Amino acid sequence: MRPDWRFWFLAPMTIALATVVLFPTGYLFWMSTQRWVITNPPRRFAGLDNFTRLFGRDDFWQAMSVTGLYLVLSTVLMVALSLGLALALAGTGRGVLRAIVVLPMVIPPVVAGFTWRFLLNGEIGFVGAYLLPMTGLDVNLLAEPRAALVSIVIADVWSRFPFMFLIFLAALQSIPRDLYEAARMDGANPIHEFLFITLPMMSGAIFVALLFRLVDTINTFELIYVMTKGGPGRATQLLSLFGWDMTFQEYDFGTAAALGVVMLVIATIGATLMFRRYQRSEREMSR
Amino acid sequence: MKLSTGLFSSAMLCLAPAAAFAQTEVNIVAFAPGFAWADLFGATGTEKTDKLLAFEAANDIVVNIEFADEETARQKVLLDLISGTGNYDLVMLGSDGAVQTFSYAGYLEPLDGYLASATDYFDPSAIYPQFLEANRVNGQLWALPYYSFGAGVIYRQDIFERYGITAFPTTTEELEQVLQTIKDGLAADGITDVYPLTMRGAPGEEPSLDLTGFVYAYAGQPAWFEGGAVTPEEIRETDARPTFTGDFRPGFETFVRWSQEFGPPGIATHTWVDMMNLYGAGKAVVLLPSAINGFAALGGTENEDVRNHTAFAPSPIGPSGQPIQSFWTFSVGVSAFSDNKDAAYRTLAFMTGEAAMQGFAETIGWPYSTFPSITNGPLLSAKWPAETLAAVEASYEQANPHYFPYIPELNAFMEQIGTAASEAISGTKTVEEALADLQGWADETMTAAGYYDN
Repeated sequence: MRPDWRFWFLAPMTIALATVVLFPTGYLFWMSTQRWVITNPPRRFAGLDNFTRLFGRDDFWQAMSVTGLYLVLSTVLMVALSLGLALALAGTGRGVLRAIVVLPMVIPPVVAGFTWRFLLNGEIGFVGAYLLPMTGLDVNLLAEPRAALVSIVIADVWSRFPFMFLIFLAALQSIPRDLYEAARMDGANPIHEFLFITLPMMSGAIFVALLFRLVDTINTFELIYVMTKGGPGRATQLLSLFGWDMTFQEYDFGTAAALGVVMLVIATIGATLMFRRYQRSEREMSR
Repeated sequence: MKLSTGLFSSAMLCLAPAAAFAQTEVNIVAFAPGFAWADLFGATGTEKTDKLLAFEAANDIVVNIEFADEETARQKVLLDLISGTGNYDLVMLGSDGAVQTFSYAGYLEPLDGYLASATDYFDPSAIYPQFLEANRVNGQLWALPYYSFGAGVIYRQDIFERYGITAFPTTTEELEQVLQTIKDGLAADGITDVYPLTMRGAPGEEPSLDLTGFVYAYAGQPAWFEGGAVTPEEIRETDARPTFTGDFRPGFETFVRWSQEFGPPGIATHTWVDMMNLYGAGKAVVLLPSAINGFAALGGTENEDVRNHTAFAPSPIGPSGQPIQSFWTFSVGVSAFSDNKDAAYRTLAFMTGEAAMQGFAETIGWPYSTFPSITNGPLLSAKWPAETLAAVEASYEQANPHYFPYIPELNAFMEQIGTAASEAISGTKTVEEALADLQGWADETMTAAGYYDN
């Protein structure tokens, strides 16, 4: 049997996808098997040595734990803020407020980073040098390790929550009103409505938002680079900054590629787990 | 007949522009438009001034410059060199890592053989020799210096006088006492937002240039490897192991302690920009050892006290008898992959020669120049006190550009040393812990790089 000729229409997209996604990914995997340090030429095959070297480094594990902490803190804060604002602004006649909420999304992360850096600066920043001392809080937000982590979480949430807010808002507005009316006739209060109608009906949107959040966290770079450069010390050094250091400061391309593979695997496993969880909850709901 | 005439005419038309554009193109990547070569590319970095056009016409060379922010420019250089494309004939480098790493990797063209070919633009005998020395690796010259500086201190004379200090201290021991006096004086006056000292302690390579200068002043040698070994050959021949928990420690510990005791609270994340802003805002009394960042602050500050009461002093002498170092050149090298190396060198000579540095002095005006004739020339002499210029010049003479090892792994070491300092300053690690980790990393890195037999 001859294959359907119409499949040829998929060829351009398949070629494009192979060029911009599959080839770089394959190249990354290939690089991760090479001992490629420009200070120690020539490049040679190293098998899994780069992974062994990577896993043996304390600063890798520190970057892992900082990334994990950052993911949890920023996700919790972002979901709470986005969902709260989406619930508050889902009604009609709140267009101006919604536009204001979405405003940070159009500010590039580098600009947001510089703004936050100068706001929080402990010597000359409006918040760090004037507002906080007035409240009696004697902490340098960017120089004290824990405060620095909290500071970048706040800046990141501020910069990226509008996207999650828009996803939640769209999901909220698509829930049929008659479900709420029927529930109210059955005696449901607003908490019941939220728990048994809103949340379940938004589970798909929440899944998508969390998926984006996971990928965002793993890729977050410029905002933190501008605000703290991963410091003080390594207190805010996420995996992405660790990889940048390894590539452009240590010139160790092989180990940096191994880190890229690890980040890819983490993102894939995370996304798969979330997807399975989502599918299971969908099945449970449909029963 | 008509057809052949037409074809001939068309061919000539096509060839005519080709002949007009037969000049050699030299491509450069650099950072800081409006600062670097403003006399050639204008304030925006996108123009071609008459000076540049005259050079192009005289040499049949077209100079194309691509400006980017510093990090992006460095990344472009790295990616162009490792891929061997030769897109950039001239590449921007720094004498604190890139010159060493890229020359050992074979990415740069050695320049000694070219020096005699463009003395009309760049006369190597007319420059301060230390700036050339900073760009020599294993005796060979790999880049020419443009904007460059030596160590020094910039400080607030009025605040010194207020607390009874009449002269800037000459030793690190005296300076520590003076910083304490200033700290006590500021506290007694209820001034909480002015700090005795500003330095840079951000993670990464940023603090390393200054920090290793402290180490040199305390140890009297680079103190990264046993016996003060500074080249791969010395390290291999003497089996010199890293000494970060040994001789390196006193200078490192002093840098960290001074930062914690006398510096601003955010110093563990401060870059040169923060040093500059802080000094310019009148919130720091002493800036060292890269005084250049203080001079940068003077140009932009609106603070009258800072502008009127700032003085320059030589870098203080450490216990070893050596001054604290901070020596750097913004260098430019010829890519080994360039197809136009001769034209590239000629352009490089033009862009780093005396006339170019005179242009830099005219547009920027800082008391730093790579040529004695400009330091002592009418332009800078009219702008700066004679003692400042003499002290700046003396700082070059006292400098040892090789105050840190010239090894291929230099960039990675600078990164790790700076981050260790940031960790210690911020308190996430003690000095002992930070240095022990650094020692472990250095042992592993040098062993993996094949320096040691066992």
